[in-house]
Amino acid sequence: MNTIMEIQNISKQYRGKKILENATFSICANQIIALVGKNGSGKSTLLKIIAKLVDADSGSIVKHRQSLKIGYVPEVTPSHILFTPEEYLYHMGSIRGMTKKQLQQRINDLLELFHLQDARNIRIDNFSKGMKQKVMIMQAMLEDTDLLILDEPLSGLDPKAQSDLEETLSILNGRGLSIVLTCHETKLLQHLVDTVLVIQNNKVIQSDSTHKRNTSKNKLIFEISSEELLNNLLPILEIQQQSLLNNGCFEVITFIKAQDTDPVLLELLHKKASIKQLIPINEKEEQFYTHF
Amino acid sequence: MTSLLRYQFINYLRTYKYVPPFSIFILCLVINYTFVPNPILDSYSFTAIILFFLMGWFTITLFHAEDEEQKVITTLHAKSRKQYNLGIFIICGLIGLGLSCVSVIYPTLIGAFGEEPRFIHQLLGFLSHFSLSVLAIALSAIFTRELVKNNQNTWWGVLSILIVSVVIATLKESILQIKGLIWLFPPVHLSLEIMSSEDSIKTIPNNFYWQFAWIFIYASIVIALFFLLSNRKRK
Repeated sequence: MNTIMEIQNISKQYRGKKILENATFSICANQIIALVGKNGSGKSTLLKIIAKLVDADSGSIVKHRQSLKIGYVPEVTPSHILFTPEEYLYHMGSIRGMTKKQLQQRINDLLELFHLQDARNIRIDNFSKGMKQKVMIMQAMLEDTDLLILDEPLSGLDPKAQSDLEETLSILNGRGLSIVLTCHETKLLQHLVDTVLVIQNNKVIQSDSTHKRNTSKNKLIFEISSEELLNNLLPILEIQQQSLLNNGCFEVITFIKAQDTDPVLLELLHKKASIKQLIPINEKEEQFYTHF
Repeated sequence: MTSLLRYQFINYLRTYKYVPPFSIFILCLVINYTFVPNPILDSYSFTAIILFFLMGWFTITLFHAEDEEQKVITTLHAKSRKQYNLGIFIICGLIGLGLSCVSVIYPTLIGAFGEEPRFIHQLLGFLSHFSLSVLAIALSAIFTRELVKNNQNTWWGVLSILIVSVVIATLKESILQIKGLIWLFPPVHLSLEIMSSEDSIKTIPNNFYWQFAWIFIYASIVIALFFLLSNRKRK
């Protein structure tokens, strides 16, 4: 993978208390990294160091692209932004040094991407938390951002807003953006994140397994009435185990990729199969992250 | 920098936090000049002290106009904390400049003085207002959230330092121990001394210029200290 940034031996103390010790990892293009850890473990500090908001005591950050653009979204959404999204983005962009013409185009694109065209003339302090969060991400993407840093992006959002934002992040990642975020949401970790880094005892530890949306699987157990119907399913299923039951039906155990789950289930229902169990195979990891 | 200034100023206007100090300023000016005639330099000295306190108010509200989180974002876009703070100092300075001009011009326009103020009066009036404004900005900035975490400490800190500055000016003759250390304290007393001259003053003595210069130098040192401490806080 194409590395865009390397974080090398970053250490940080705050008021004599060690927060980070020799944190080292790389960020690749188009990669989504999640930092997990207990509250106060130094996740936000590490993000601030990457965003150059705070200086590290030692260590270095090496950019592999000279013009690497970083966008940062803080943990707490500002509650009193006294501008409309259009005005706000215009001001932030011009402070960055963008021209009026560049900004007009970019703001229109962003409002469309984040589905906020209808709210372009409403003041942000009247927005819901989810909408505010979107504006925060928009400001971080005003220039062609390569790396987006998000501190607890889903915190305090309702399930609908969470799911909206998750979809947006997925789209952004699909456009080639790298994302580093902190979060506690297992769902996000399972569905969106490529790599999970755990901060424990001031150290950054790479999780045992690298999460890949493409390799995350579910264990599926179902019952189907005939061998013929079962054979029809062979092109879409890799059967691990099958057994004939007393009622003449077949019980089948198979593993399917997470993203294929919905279409496979639909097909099974078409074939009048009865779904007995659907188990995420990384159940143990889910429990592990819920712990934080 | 212009974009940053424009944003900070518009944002400040939309917060309406300027309304109380601005209203008090206008009220003081109008009440002070309700009865005529008034002595020129004495009146200017009074409004300069009022402006000294009100500029503290303007400064704090300007520095706190944005949410803490929004401040982080704006700083990131401005690419440096120094640039961000410099923007606020410039806006404070421009407000101080504007209100100093109003303080000098308003009584002249309404004929509030016993005699027509000469250029020398207006120059001294402007310098006393503007120098004290800049001094108040510098002293108040030290107590903003950039350096002080607790909001209560901010307001008490600003109020205390501004009051102490004025009290020192009035007590320096009676407390001999202060005399030797007087240069350490905010030099409000220098402005008051100059403005206690007679209205019949014909020329500005050289030492007046030096005294005004010291107020500006003192304010610059405090502002430099602000930037130094602010830079340290980042670490």
